[in-house]
Amino acid sequence: MFFLNLSLPEFLTILGSISGVVVALYLLDRMRKKRTVSTLRFFEMVQRPPVLKHRRKLQQPWSLVLQLLSMLLLLLAIAQLRFGSPERSSRDHVLILDTSAWMDARTGQTRLIDQARAAARNYLKALSPGDRVMVLRADVLATPVTVFESDRFKIEQAIDQTQPGAGPLNVQQALDFARQAQKLHSERAGEIALIGAARVSSEEASLASAPANLRVISINGPNEHVGLRKVSVRRSVAEPDGWEVFVAVENYGTLPHSIPLAVQFGGAPVASRRFDLKPGVEESAAFRFKTRAAGWLEARLLTKDAFPQDTRAVLELPAQQLVQIVVYSDEPELLRPIFNAIPGVQATYKPVTAYDPNIQNGIVLLDRFAPPGPPQTDAIWIEPPGNKSPIPVATTASKVKIKRWRVDSVLGAGLRASDLEMPSAEVFRTSPNEVAVAEADAGAVVAARSGNPKTIVLGFHPVRAGMKYELTTPLLMANIVRWMAPDVFRSWQLTAGTVGTVDAQLESEADPSTVRVQTEDGKVLPFTVEGKTVRFFAGAPGIVRVLTGDRELVYSLTLPQPGDVVWKPTGVRQGMPSRAPYEPSAKDIWQWLAVLGAAGLIADWILFGRMRRGWVAATQMIPKMPWRKAS
Amino acid sequence: MKPTPLIDSVFLEKLERLTIQWQKSFAGLVGGHNISHFAGPGQEFLDHRQFHHGDDLRAVNWRAYLRLEKLFLKMFQVEPRTPVRILLDCSNSMTTGGVCKFDYARKLTAALCYVGLVRLDTIGIQPFGNGLGDSFLCGGGRHRFIPAVNYLQDLKPSGKTNFFEVARQFITKYPQRGLLIIISDFLDDTDCERPLQYLADFGHELMLLHVWDPEDRDPPWEGQLDLTDAETGAVIEIGFDSGSRARYVQAFDEFARSIQRIGLRNSGRYVGLPTNTTIEEAVFGPIARSGGIQ
Repeated sequence: MFFLNLSLPEFLTILGSISGVVVALYLLDRMRKKRTVSTLRFFEMVQRPPVLKHRRKLQQPWSLVLQLLSMLLLLLAIAQLRFGSPERSSRDHVLILDTSAWMDARTGQTRLIDQARAAARNYLKALSPGDRVMVLRADVLATPVTVFESDRFKIEQAIDQTQPGAGPLNVQQALDFARQAQKLHSERAGEIALIGAARVSSEEASLASAPANLRVISINGPNEHVGLRKVSVRRSVAEPDGWEVFVAVENYGTLPHSIPLAVQFGGAPVASRRFDLKPGVEESAAFRFKTRAAGWLEARLLTKDAFPQDTRAVLELPAQQLVQIVVYSDEPELLRPIFNAIPGVQATYKPVTAYDPNIQNGIVLLDRFAPPGPPQTDAIWIEPPGNKSPIPVATTASKVKIKRWRVDSVLGAGLRASDLEMPSAEVFRTSPNEVAVAEADAGAVVAARSGNPKTIVLGFHPVRAGMKYELTTPLLMANIVRWMAPDVFRSWQLTAGTVGTVDAQLESEADPSTVRVQTEDGKVLPFTVEGKTVRFFAGAPGIVRVLTGDRELVYSLTLPQPGDVVWKPTGVRQGMPSRAPYEPSAKDIWQWLAVLGAAGLIADWILFGRMRRGWVAATQMIPKMPWRKAS
Repeated sequence: MKPTPLIDSVFLEKLERLTIQWQKSFAGLVGGHNISHFAGPGQEFLDHRQFHHGDDLRAVNWRAYLRLEKLFLKMFQVEPRTPVRILLDCSNSMTTGGVCKFDYARKLTAALCYVGLVRLDTIGIQPFGNGLGDSFLCGGGRHRFIPAVNYLQDLKPSGKTNFFEVARQFITKYPQRGLLIIISDFLDDTDCERPLQYLADFGHELMLLHVWDPEDRDPPWEGQLDLTDAETGAVIEIGFDSGSRARYVQAFDEFARSIQRIGLRNSGRYVGLPTNTTIEEAVFGPIARSGGIQ
């Protein structure tokens, strides 16, 4: 006999308190009462001597006994008194089902997850009938499917509905969750049973600590497997229409393998490579190919494997965009070399008489002339007429030397040349919403106005002036084009990876306020920035974009990743437990105690309480005298 | 805050179809509750007769004269003028119990007063305790009901009950016989039967409305009790159990039967009214069944 909810001192303390209160209330209820009545004549007729004038005597002692007994029974019910040994009371187990991506691998005709489910059902049968079980699915996250449940049908239903996920197994998190659940919600902790292949990363295997009550039921999967570890695609820095492909392959098995890799774009082969992989070794290869078109890039290992999910990766490449620039100039040959030197730009040259005011996309360049109306799209003005300049011309100076560049802005990035002398240049009067990109002693000679559309005005001709043979000229024009069309020049990288925690590497340290991490449907994911690393967590397969100022990293988290090693904890129970012998479990009698306690209180109320007084009064209210009509 | 009215208007509308009844024909008075066939001054038309010299010209039917060129005199019913007096117990014993008996008695008085006023009876309300208090007389229609209610609301219970003194003063003050409605708990230290008998012997018709609280008849307490008399302030200490309670109830019922006997023996009426009966139930139930109101 033992208490499940309270210790004996707690029980005695509460019982003592309640008994004290009941006795006090009882004495208070039965003490001498003072009443004012209409007349004493009838009381004097029925008067009997008062009992011991100054002493309280227990009236209706059986009522007190009944109340105390009822309270005792109710308290025993709350404490959950049980008959039998505490060792025979039911236990609460946590059943961790490995639902990592590797559990989708096949051995023969069955998948590992099928074997794990069968093992889970057998484990369930081996437990005592009164034991409660919580089913926990563990992959990159630990997800409880049931509470501590004694209904075997519900537990088996949860087991049968378990399917492998897309991420690796985070065994430490699952074990921590199970321990916490047993600590907080369990009446008597039983085992934590881990059923599955238990393939984890090398780091995870070294860090995971096994609790003492852990039982591991291993599901042995195939030993040999080669899979794609990482596939990454990014734009080539050297060629505007070129792509660089990076593929990493790992041999998870114990034997060396020679596996061919084929890379296709839009169904057409673009590269192939054979990997000779030693056991446990990861190798990588890089390819290049050119295309401006959008399409699907597929990397495939040409092997028949027990786990085919990571032998193929497909990435969607966007089309290469070009910036359209219409140059209105009577001397186009001067500007042609500049734009030919900027990749990603397609320039069209037209005379100033062919000016089209209806251009709404791209960039227009106005070489020493002003159209009747302002352009509707982004515009580069070169030496505009003084009275029609979009940014007012303060003066026209001769022998102008450029002293400063606004290097902290995109327009002046990388421009260092100074003391460049121009025979003459327009000096602009800038307002607060305009930026002086280049300044001479007289004032701004290159000024920009952001907004929509963007406008930049050069007070000198970059080719006709002294900058003709300077590197600054093409850099300045490239900065201008990059400022006006940042999307086209944004660095873009696509990586196929696995769900879970993703570390995105940036080229330079980024301000967290300029970083955005969002899913395909625009939902923002929380992230942390440490130096050049942006870390975020994705629990489900999908596409996640990491946007910084001029860089976009796209992660296609669809490549499943089997663990590197099988986690084999030491000092824990292994394999299926023997079937528990039938032994009567501790008998739960709190329900009966509660009923008896309530019945006792009701009986006290009926026999000694106000109900009896009311009932007696009601019966005696019926007039015994013959009421009859007087007339 | 506006005081709660003694009786609500809905109940008053129901009371309008009732009449206070009495059985005796009192010496020196016409009527009773039956309509008189004697002609005389009154409100109700009875008949016509030929005009004779000396008749009151105000009673001539001039319309008939214009049509027939003969003088006819209108005759009216003589109205009964039997006084209805309500003796209302205002002693301290009326204040005990779960529901205040005094409030209950006031409401009952107001209801009976309204019934009488609607039937053009003359109603005298006479509070009593150790003796008779200041009375209130009203008559002539329902418009006199509001002053009666104000009078009742101003009454305060106090003092002891002394039925002997009350009977003596009443007989002295009201020599004219009539219907005497006594609303009381009839709890007097001395015997109240003889004073009631004196009133009946003097010629009054008694309607005894015995008001009691359920606690008066069946005290709900048990155990050791310190009891204080509401009127005298006397204190006794007793042990009270279920057996005592049974004897108490028996004694109270015997007392109620003695009051009832007084009423019935003198051709009057007796109605016992516990305060857990509503006024409406009391009027349309036991009082109507007793024939006091119809």
